Amino acid sequence: MAYSEKVIDHYENPRNVGKMDAEDPDVGTGMVGAPACGDVMRLQIKVNEQGVIEDAKFKTYGCGSAIASSSLATEWMKGKTLAEAETIKNTQLAEELALPPVKIHCSVLAEDAIKAAVRDYKQKKGLL
Amino acid sequence: MGIPCHFALFDLQPGFRLDLEQLAVRYRELARNVHPDRFADASEREQRLALEQSASLNEAYRTLKNAPQRARYLLALRGPELPLEVTVQDPGFLMQQMQWREELEDLQDSADLPGVAAFKRRLKIAQDELNESFAVCWDDPLRREEAERLMRRMQFLDKLSHEVRQLEERLDD
Repeated sequence: MAYSEKVIDHYENPRNVGKMDAEDPDVGTGMVGAPACGDVMRLQIKVNEQGVIEDAKFKTYGCGSAIASSSLATEWMKGKTLAEAETIKNTQLAEELALPPVKIHCSVLAEDAIKAAVRDYKQKKGLL
Repeated sequence: MGIPCHFALFDLQPGFRLDLEQLAVRYRELARNVHPDRFADASEREQRLALEQSASLNEAYRTLKNAPQRARYLLALRGPELPLEVTVQDPGFLMQQMQWREELEDLQDSADLPGVAAFKRRLKIAQDELNESFAVCWDDPLRREEAERLMRRMQFLDKLSHEVRQLEERLDD
């Protein structure tokens, strides 16, 4: 199956790969997995006092589409408020990356990771 | 009459613990009986039937011989079918998976074959433990959620062992 140029670009030059201290009270961590593909995705956000996502990092073990989806997700999240970040939809990620139907679930995984990271941050701050 | 259960095709009761060697022997016997060559002179209807039987036999064997597939099939016999692909949030387990994948990456970079062999043994132990835990809880309706979580973990480890095998082949070349 041929990957789109955008997927290949994110795959070869992933943005924001890395790790933040999960114990940091300003960091939210989302850890999700897709069992049938074996994909594991960790997405982390650092949020400032204004509720804006200052930084985002990810690490994904999985196919090119999963890596590209999470890489793009971190790009899009930076500079957004939590509420804005939560509105990012898998369909937008899939469209931007021109994912074929069989790879849509990779973008779903990335959306779930965003939500999990935001939820983790809110839980830490007692906002839930 | 519905489609016979995969286990019934092999004269087995639904259960997770399975002697895979016995299953393979039985599969070969049954496959011979419905092999197209045996029906070369039979009527078109008989040929078609044999082909259908052969297809369901293959499907049953493929499902039963693989632990996570067998587990998912068993859970579907006792309740709604579970989708193949879902998003799992099982933080402790996923964290460990991530660590294992990092280790595997390092083993690949250092082309460490003995390391890969040790990794494989550890993975096998983890798989055996998971299988054992699933075997004792899958049939208890009160523990379905737990059984489902274990089945998902099995899927991850199955995929991981597949990747270990691929890595071994690459390093062997």
